[in-house]
Amino acid sequence: MSKLKGKVAIVGIGEVPTGRFPETAAIYHAIESAKQAIRDAGINKDEIDFCMPTASLFSPQFNTELVTCRVVEELGLKNCKKNCQVFSGGSSSSCGLQMAGSLITSGVAQTVLFVHSDRLGTGVTAQGGIDLFSTAGISAEWEVPFGQHYSSIAALSTTRYKYETGCTDEQLASVCVSNRKWAEINPNAFFRKPLTIEEVMASKMLSTPLRAKMSNMLFDGGSAFVLASAERARDLPNTPVYILGESGVVSHFVFSQEPDVSRFGWAKSAKAAFGEANLTPRDMDVAEIYDSYPVYQMIGFEELGFCERGEAGEIFMRGDTWPGGRIPCTTDGGMLSKGHIGAGGAVSLLVEAARQLMGKAGERQVKDARFAVETATGGTYMDAQVTVLGTEIP
Amino acid sequence: MDTPKKPVPIVNPWARPFWDAAKEKRLVIQRCKDCDRYIFYPRIACPNCFSDNMEWVEASGKGTIYSFTVVQNNAPSAFIGEMPYVVAIIKLEEGVQMLSNVVECDPDNLHCDMPVEVTFERLTDDFTLPKFRPVTISSKR
Repeated sequence: MSKLKGKVAIVGIGEVPTGRFPETAAIYHAIESAKQAIRDAGINKDEIDFCMPTASLFSPQFNTELVTCRVVEELGLKNCKKNCQVFSGGSSSSCGLQMAGSLITSGVAQTVLFVHSDRLGTGVTAQGGIDLFSTAGISAEWEVPFGQHYSSIAALSTTRYKYETGCTDEQLASVCVSNRKWAEINPNAFFRKPLTIEEVMASKMLSTPLRAKMSNMLFDGGSAFVLASAERARDLPNTPVYILGESGVVSHFVFSQEPDVSRFGWAKSAKAAFGEANLTPRDMDVAEIYDSYPVYQMIGFEELGFCERGEAGEIFMRGDTWPGGRIPCTTDGGMLSKGHIGAGGAVSLLVEAARQLMGKAGERQVKDARFAVETATGGTYMDAQVTVLGTEIP
Repeated sequence: MDTPKKPVPIVNPWARPFWDAAKEKRLVIQRCKDCDRYIFYPRIACPNCFSDNMEWVEASGKGTIYSFTVVQNNAPSAFIGEMPYVVAIIKLEEGVQMLSNVVECDPDNLHCDMPVEVTFERLTDDFTLPKFRPVTISSKR
């Protein structure tokens, strides 16, 4: 159990729309998101004493700018003591939050700005994106020579998950529909037109049984949050969003080394995180489950304990996870409908969890949301990070 | 558009015996002499007991398909000409897993836990890749 429970809180959030913005500089997504987060926190910008940009994948040159203090200079953060990148691929949200929280509870930092930005929609070509994600995080010795890439990885999980649970392709498609329901009412989402199971099933087959509309697409975007001590948070305008529990399991680097590609380490990680929070899945008002492909959202949903293994398909199909449903899930539309922006897929989800708990989610607002869980995973689903957040400390 | 050449394995020096054997159409894996576990992919120390006391052994080449997919669209550039191709995680009899391609098969008739055996495909003068094919009655001998 960590010492973070109830000691630190997200006090401000910012986000730019996800989409294709060829005219905009990549840095805009970072500094606009950060500006919003600082203003939302109701603090003076010069209170930020630690800037934590996570990595951008589209260009090593741009990422070097993030590493070499560009955000600090662009925003004029006069009292910033350190600018240091924290990056664990898609799980950077959880890892960043926990690193930032540790800096605050240890006294190294007072107010941390965490920011993500990337330009995968216009900074790389469509085939360039496929090629980038057929090498990034995939073993150059043991998998790349066999034509492995992210669609085939997701398909390998999906095939095994279907084999073990009897899940149908229509049930997989229903996850896409659920996420789209949320994206329809998210102004920052890219895909906002209603989607049906039939449309998903009619889309091009990529890697069996994974179809094009079961796959995320890469876009430009960014989001940010400000973290402060719980004490400081109580003096600020937003409802503080406390870290209540967190845990993680690192399971593999090479995807084919994972002994259970339809479960991973979620159950162990969730048990520890919920245990620390002294809460159960039943207590959650919102479940921000990392998607990227439908099977991973189903696996996360089940392994966290929102239902038994093999039941997620029926639950997503029934609409229990939709706006107004019993278990609102991935309420920003996720990478499947809001759009995949690299490491920021889960940063968006974390920001959305905080937004829901602050009561600022507009049309998507889950009524009286007090507790939320956010999950994240990086690389080829190499880790299972679970964070429980809330407006009260149980 | 020119199709880029197929990527060759970027070999770690301690894995060299694996690739040298593959060139001779032999599948070798490591075994820890202290804890008796089979090890794949090759390591500098046993990932179970952390011993340095490892040896190379001939694997049976028999296994099952843990999971598989038929890549039909959106393959990496170098593999576009290969589509459709089968990517699979193979679980060897020795208990270790490896990624490979299932070849000499009807992709529509593959299923999880299906028995397969190793076969070798030359990639370049320097590299031969271990691949797998369904075990048929005739190949059981």
